[in-house]
Amino acid sequence: MTCADVERVLPELLDGTPDRALPAEVEAHVKSCPACSDLVSDLNLISSEARQLAASEEPAPRVWVRIAAQLRAEGLIRDEGPATARPVLVPVPTYSGRRWSAWWLAPVAAAVLAAGSYVISHKPVPQVATQQAPATPVTAPTAVMAAVPPAAVRAPAPQQLAQKSAKPAGARRSEVEPAPSEEDQQFLSAVSTLAPSMRTTYELQLQAVNADIRETQAYVDRNPGDMDARQHLMDAYQQKALLYQIALDRIQ
Amino acid sequence: MTDPKQSISEREAIEQAKQGHEAAFEVLYHLHKRRVYSLCLRMVSNPAQAEDLAQEAFLQLFRKIGTFRGESAFSTWLHRMTVNVVLMQLRKKGLPVVSLEETLEGEDEAPRKEFGTKDLKLTGSIDRLQLQRAIDRLPPGYRTVFVLHDVEGFEHNEIAQMVGCSVGNSKSQLHKARLKLREYLKFMRAEKAKTG
Repeated sequence: MTCADVERVLPELLDGTPDRALPAEVEAHVKSCPACSDLVSDLNLISSEARQLAASEEPAPRVWVRIAAQLRAEGLIRDEGPATARPVLVPVPTYSGRRWSAWWLAPVAAAVLAAGSYVISHKPVPQVATQQAPATPVTAPTAVMAAVPPAAVRAPAPQQLAQKSAKPAGARRSEVEPAPSEEDQQFLSAVSTLAPSMRTTYELQLQAVNADIRETQAYVDRNPGDMDARQHLMDAYQQKALLYQIALDRIQ
Repeated sequence: MTDPKQSISEREAIEQAKQGHEAAFEVLYHLHKRRVYSLCLRMVSNPAQAEDLAQEAFLQLFRKIGTFRGESAFSTWLHRMTVNVVLMQLRKKGLPVVSLEETLEGEDEAPRKEFGTKDLKLTGSIDRLQLQRAIDRLPPGYRTVFVLHDVEGFEHNEIAQMVGCSVGNSKSQLHKARLKLREYLKFMRAEKAKTG
């Protein structure tokens, strides 16, 4: 048997099964041929290492936010389910007299989205991007952009943005986390009335979307002409508005 | 965060999701999100697209959950649905879900034969990030079969059915994908040795 013969039969033989025995004549050649031995060894190694890649990536929290919104829009979510069988992850809200506390969420959600739109569409292109402070509209953006999580969970930006954001360490986001905005404090206060696990879910989602907004905003500040980044920033504001809206639905 | 698996079983979640309970949908999502998103990401190599595809896969699942009778594992059902969503997207974009190299691809595209050479061997282990980068570089057709077989564990007959090729073609593509990955990984290792 020759090296070419081995190459011809390998696709049938290497099926990813660890330590699978090769037919005797193939085995004999592989043992006597360093090149074929290395080839078989490498291909088996690649196959076994690839298996470790399955389920290794975590989607951003916004994915569930979008799914939940769509399920609601399609009417697939019909009720809150039986309290006794309710998963800990999203328990039934048990409070009864707090409906008044969420009235502000609807206008805030709208304001967040409007503010995001304003920032993205009206922000002037700075003459000297590194010296000019970002434009600050009257409404929420300043507060929204200042709302920074403790960075425990961050939504990964799209690959393109991530690549563009690969700047020197000093150009990346500040190590000092600003305090939550007034709107976010209200949001956190409202969701604090929910069960602990549900509250945690909202807090993490808010952290993630704020981190996404902040990082994208910083990138847009440095690259005001990048339309992809502006679109991503708009998407991030929409995610935040959606998060507020979902919280509103649940609290009411 | 609390592990949803500790508080409700998948079977219970499926039954409650059929009744339209949001929490049950969320439990199912959290149980399977990593596997689904990872599969999408490996196949399209683009995080934003992978998010959209994972979202679409879960939505399709939840829309059809009333028809799930439990004959097969729920995860198998979901992962097949995810693969179909991704393949549909690839087809829409005009990307080959399976390489046409058997009939169209020239010899230049084929992995380089290295018989008789004693160059670098991928001994020990492979850096996960490097492997991921190498997979991202694979042509879409090779990548599809490699991800489905070696990463996700589908059998060749399942892959052949899903992508619409013969079992032999699936095996051939997988082998060529592995050869290309070997080539890429050795190149990366050599580059790293040069610079580092």
